[in-house]
Amino acid sequence: MREGPSISRRSFIKLAATAGAAAAIPGCEPAARQLIPYVVPDENVVPGVPSFFATTCSECPAGCGVVARIREGRVVKLEGNPADPIGQGSLCARGQAALQGLYNPDRLAHPQVRGDDGAIRTVSWDQADKMLGDRLAAASKGGKDRVAFFGSPQGPTFRKIALAFVGAYGSSRAIFYEAINQEPARVAAKTIFGRRDLPSYRIDQAEVLISFGADFLETWQSPVELARQYSLFRTPHERRGTLTIGRATYVGPRLSMTASKCDDWIATAPGVEADVAWSVLNVLVKQRWVSQNSGFDLAALTKAVENFDPVATSARTGVPVETITRLGETFGRAEGALAIAGTNDSSAHLAAMILNAVTGNFGKTVMFLEGSPAEETSTPDEVDAAVDAMRGGKIDAVFIAGANPVFTMPASARVAEAIQKVPFVVWAGGVPDETAAMASLLLPAHHPLEAWRDTAPRAGIRGLGQPVMQPVFDSKPVGDILLAAAAGSSSAKLPWASAAEAVKAEWLALALKADGADPEDFWVSVRREGGLFEEQHLSALSLDTSAFKAPVPAAAQSELSVYAYPHIFLYDGRGADKPWLQELPEPVTQIVWDSWAEIHPETARKLGVAKDDVIEIKTEHGAIEAPVLVESTVRPGVIAVPLGQGHRAYGRYAKDVGANAWAILAAGAASAAATARATGKTRTLVSPLGKSDMMGRSIVEAMSIEQLARGVVPRSEAEEVTGPYEMYPPWKYSRHKWGMTIDVNACTGCSACVTACYAENNVPTVGKDGVDRGRIMSWIRIERYFPPAGEAAQAPQLYLAPMLCQQCDHAPCEPVCPVFASYHTEEGINGQVYNRCVGTRYCENNCPYKVRRFNWFVPEWPAPLNLQLNPDVTVRGAGVMEKCTFCVQRIQFAELNARTEDRELRDGEIVTACQQACPTRAITFGDSNEPASAMMRRREDNKLRNYRALEELNTQPAITYLRDLYREKGGA
Amino acid sequence: MAAAPKIPVEPSYRDIDRSVLRVMEPAGLAYWAWIGFCFTLVAIAAGFWLRQIYSGLGVTGLRQPVMWAIYITNFVFWVGIAHSGTLISAILFLFRTKWRTAVYRAAETMTIFAVATAGLFPLIHLGRVWFFYWLLPYPNQRYLQPDFRSPLVWDAFAVSTYLTISALFWTMGLIPDVANAREAATGWRKKFYTALAMGWQGTDRQWRHYSMAYLLMAGLATPLVLSVHSVVSWDFAMAINPGWHSTIFAPYFVAGAIFSGVAMVITLLIPMRKLLGIEDLLTEWHFDNLAKVVLLTSLVVSYAYITEAFMTWYTGDPIEQMTFHMRYFGPWGWMYWVMVLCNCVIPLLLFSPRIRVNMRALWIITIFVNIGMWFERFVIIAGSLTANIEPSQWAGYRPSITEIMITVGSFAWFVGLFSLFAKFLPIISMTELKEGIVWLRKALKMDRVKAA
Repeated sequence: MREGPSISRRSFIKLAATAGAAAAIPGCEPAARQLIPYVVPDENVVPGVPSFFATTCSECPAGCGVVARIREGRVVKLEGNPADPIGQGSLCARGQAALQGLYNPDRLAHPQVRGDDGAIRTVSWDQADKMLGDRLAAASKGGKDRVAFFGSPQGPTFRKIALAFVGAYGSSRAIFYEAINQEPARVAAKTIFGRRDLPSYRIDQAEVLISFGADFLETWQSPVELARQYSLFRTPHERRGTLTIGRATYVGPRLSMTASKCDDWIATAPGVEADVAWSVLNVLVKQRWVSQNSGFDLAALTKAVENFDPVATSARTGVPVETITRLGETFGRAEGALAIAGTNDSSAHLAAMILNAVTGNFGKTVMFLEGSPAEETSTPDEVDAAVDAMRGGKIDAVFIAGANPVFTMPASARVAEAIQKVPFVVWAGGVPDETAAMASLLLPAHHPLEAWRDTAPRAGIRGLGQPVMQPVFDSKPVGDILLAAAAGSSSAKLPWASAAEAVKAEWLALALKADGADPEDFWVSVRREGGLFEEQHLSALSLDTSAFKAPVPAAAQSELSVYAYPHIFLYDGRGADKPWLQELPEPVTQIVWDSWAEIHPETARKLGVAKDDVIEIKTEHGAIEAPVLVESTVRPGVIAVPLGQGHRAYGRYAKDVGANAWAILAAGAASAAATARATGKTRTLVSPLGKSDMMGRSIVEAMSIEQLARGVVPRSEAEEVTGPYEMYPPWKYSRHKWGMTIDVNACTGCSACVTACYAENNVPTVGKDGVDRGRIMSWIRIERYFPPAGEAAQAPQLYLAPMLCQQCDHAPCEPVCPVFASYHTEEGINGQVYNRCVGTRYCENNCPYKVRRFNWFVPEWPAPLNLQLNPDVTVRGAGVMEKCTFCVQRIQFAELNARTEDRELRDGEIVTACQQACPTRAITFGDSNEPASAMMRRREDNKLRNYRALEELNTQPAITYLRDLYREKGGA
Repeated sequence: MAAAPKIPVEPSYRDIDRSVLRVMEPAGLAYWAWIGFCFTLVAIAAGFWLRQIYSGLGVTGLRQPVMWAIYITNFVFWVGIAHSGTLISAILFLFRTKWRTAVYRAAETMTIFAVATAGLFPLIHLGRVWFFYWLLPYPNQRYLQPDFRSPLVWDAFAVSTYLTISALFWTMGLIPDVANAREAATGWRKKFYTALAMGWQGTDRQWRHYSMAYLLMAGLATPLVLSVHSVVSWDFAMAINPGWHSTIFAPYFVAGAIFSGVAMVITLLIPMRKLLGIEDLLTEWHFDNLAKVVLLTSLVVSYAYITEAFMTWYTGDPIEQMTFHMRYFGPWGWMYWVMVLCNCVIPLLLFSPRIRVNMRALWIITIFVNIGMWFERFVIIAGSLTANIEPSQWAGYRPSITEIMITVGSFAWFVGLFSLFAKFLPIISMTELKEGIVWLRKALKMDRVKAA
């Protein structure tokens, strides 16, 4: 017998084929080739194996921690960093979509110079650097403060760099501009506590929550963190012997997604939220529900709010007296209560703070923390001063980075005119926006994911942002550009040569504070963790009412006013260049790729307009045009317009989409008196939504907390569903049977899951026209239904729930496929074999949930957006059907790991993309064969709330939903 | 075309031969212009199809949730048209119906071309047409077979079986007639007819075998009349969609198929007999009988509509009821009422014996029937999908130019093929006409008496 390793002909061919395929794979993707060119391979780059880097999210000031998944040297997915106390492992839609900012095809690729004739010329970095240095030097010769920096707050270290930059040129004008800022809250805090830092909130510690116009689940402060808290607040729990959920009330002009998840929406005109807030305080004060140790002088307080008797407020605002009284009473009686304000006038913030203070909730549901980070954002006064200086010709050179004042500053600020007066405007950034259009030197800057940076969102939390991949374009970090320019000036001696060095130096300084830490160990650990997360300590609070003046009721409201609110996905406009966000239906209106003017049917009647009629909305500051959306989700007399659209630049996805609502607002205002007239034009508002009426079908179900407490199963038809009926022998699942439990009560509609799915599963976007033609490709969508008319009192304000493939046991899609492209896997998933699909589309016809998606065309990802594609998931071609796979690639990955390590799969080891993203943990995935799995336990623990969508069809879904919970109206 | 010589009231076999063979004489410019027109439209449609294959089905108006619309409507429509041919040629043959002899060849030809047209649509509608053969069981290395639970696989079998059997039946029926044509023909026509005649000599032995084979083929084809359209209807009935999921679909669809098919036969024959000058062979008596079939099936179809509505109410299923409510009163309600008008109301005129033999009126009525039957399929197929189980996914549908042009092309393809046939092959079976010459004589006498 022959000795040695035996290899059969068969295995040899197998091996050879595998090796051949492996060798051929890099050839499929020419763009990826340069990423693995090392002669000596980088040990971090193992083809096929992802690596993860902790970093921070820069899409909004909340500062969530992020873990970036890197494949073959490029980032393919962003997920929340579980170590970070803000995001706690979740990431919102905007955070997920940062990738499309990184890979945006319209990013500036090379430095450009705009000649005097307006012609754009591409130059080399050397030329650009020289021009920058020369012009800045020339500008600084004019005297002090002739050079300015105008950017967005990009972290404490960046702030230092920017200050060093202007300092090097003999200036102190560094503006850190944030269009949506916390100034009103800071002013309020200053008024009664003498401090300008922001408190942090614990909604989950409250029993009653009142939001005065704060869309805390969408755009207000820290939506991911607050959504998590809110879901805990709304989780059924025992209180005083009965099962209950937190009681939430929203006061504001529009039924936002946040308002829809509250028990009550008190529709007010914009600007009068404060009036209601003071009136609530009036109720409390009158009832003498003022905490003894709150420090407030009851008499003075009574005097201060004497104008806000509920009767008077009711007369001014139209809010019923009983509503205000009830608000005050529930707030005062609650074991923990929290009032928050999101309006642009500090009066409401002040009222909310006093409400929290007099009820003794500071330190409980709301708290100021020791060691709040230094304020990063410039005050509106500072911004105005800088703009005035520009307009006055007092600034010769301005370096703009990260901010888009031309777009976000109101017309009344005349910022474009001011910038025009500056002889030398440098712009550094990604996709050239409206402000870039005014610059004479345009520099491509690193995306935050390519650069070193840090964040300090609040006390005790410092996020470290490290670059997660090589730059996509010929760009440089803004910090490096600034430092290089500063170093070029004769006067300066800078402590750091680059932003990377600066960040490291700053963080090593932190290490010295942390006792006994070896600096290098510390540096490794913070990079691994994504930051430094320390225990937070309550700050001692001292009341200082000296600056407190009795509030004055708002002036009478105009008959018609416009109310502009930040778009949940586009925020202040920075999201508009990302197709994922443009194509994500706004949860309440379900509209994509447009601006809309939401008006009440009554207002529509008065104006004589119908849906899709374009109206001109005119305020004293300007006019915009937008198509009308007629819904009862807004108060009569109010035109609600989302901010964020209406770009005139900012890349192909943002340009000429909708209207810019900033343009008709006064500085620092969210609303204005307006007139509206029909223009005679129409424009279809595009939405993937068909009917808003569920027609009594069991798609999204709800029950009242009172029913839950009584143990009532709400569905009268429940007894009719006796199944399962099966002609064929039932499936046998010898190993796993994957399933999901989705808590509709926890779902806020934020659509983070939808974006996560786009990112994970290479789901293409189809554009406005594509959505209009019914070709949206999302595998998971948020179902939005209005409660039926007449039953609104005994239903949630909106039905919102994720709808995805239900992975039915008795799947209607499977037997109709003639070629077994749709089939049942042995782990209970409705598999879809793209290669086998011939495109009869019968499966989608037969799918009652309508969750299958057909590829009408070859999907397109304009380079370099294609670099984001997940290599673990096939990119589908034209003519095939696709659908949710329960992230089968993640299942496979985990199963393979378990097999390699020779162990059983652990519960919770597989996390689907939607589940991972969900800020409220509404989705749990697991094995139905394993009764102890978290997914099955969640069903068991909420037995009364279990339902399966359209169960009477005998589809036997693998997804069990937990019913939404609402509070019965008219009850206690 | 020269005026047709009147056939004697007591025609001989030779008179019949002459009348039929005269039609097959070389055609004039008008004929070729017509053929050119038809096939230009076909070429345009083919161009649109190529574009669709190249860029994807997105060029259609199909969308979420209306995954099937005009293509499948056309498929069902053309399969339906096909049915009457087999009904007339096979079932009426077995029943020895006297009036069928003059019309059956044309009806059967219509069947072949209608199935040939219908068969294109499942291909046109596929997302990846280049893999259409995956729907058929064929030996392959991957051991992959189609899923026999899928109605689409049944469909593939049903339609291909139908095409095969009716093509065979048709070719066989042609044998004695082309042999007849062979005798007079010259040039390439002679070769062509010789090949088709398969050595037919008209011997006793051949006639005996021929008759037996024809009877057997008729027996084989008969169940197909019922089965094919039943299977087609199961494409819908087996699905769980409201508006589709119904047990009455098979008889309902078969009746509808015969209804539309016979109407189409009339629609084709009326201009044909005039243009080809064979009024004497296709008499009023024939049309009177065809019209009666249309009337009967119209009543059956109307009954089915009522039953469908009743069953929907009787089930008490609100989802089903809502879909039907949308069908009757939704944005596409007008289509339903057009259908009722065309399929249920207008055919009632055929109760009048005078209208049954008024060629102009009959022609217009049958065209309405065809319009109505097309709408019926569209309302059922696309209409039911628009108002599905998931209200958030309701949506309308609007056909694109691609779908419209391909539909137009399919009509041109069908009419063009039929026109070619009418000129090159005996459009009326001389053999059978001779067999039933007594009945023809009777009919002619009746006509002359009436005319006098």
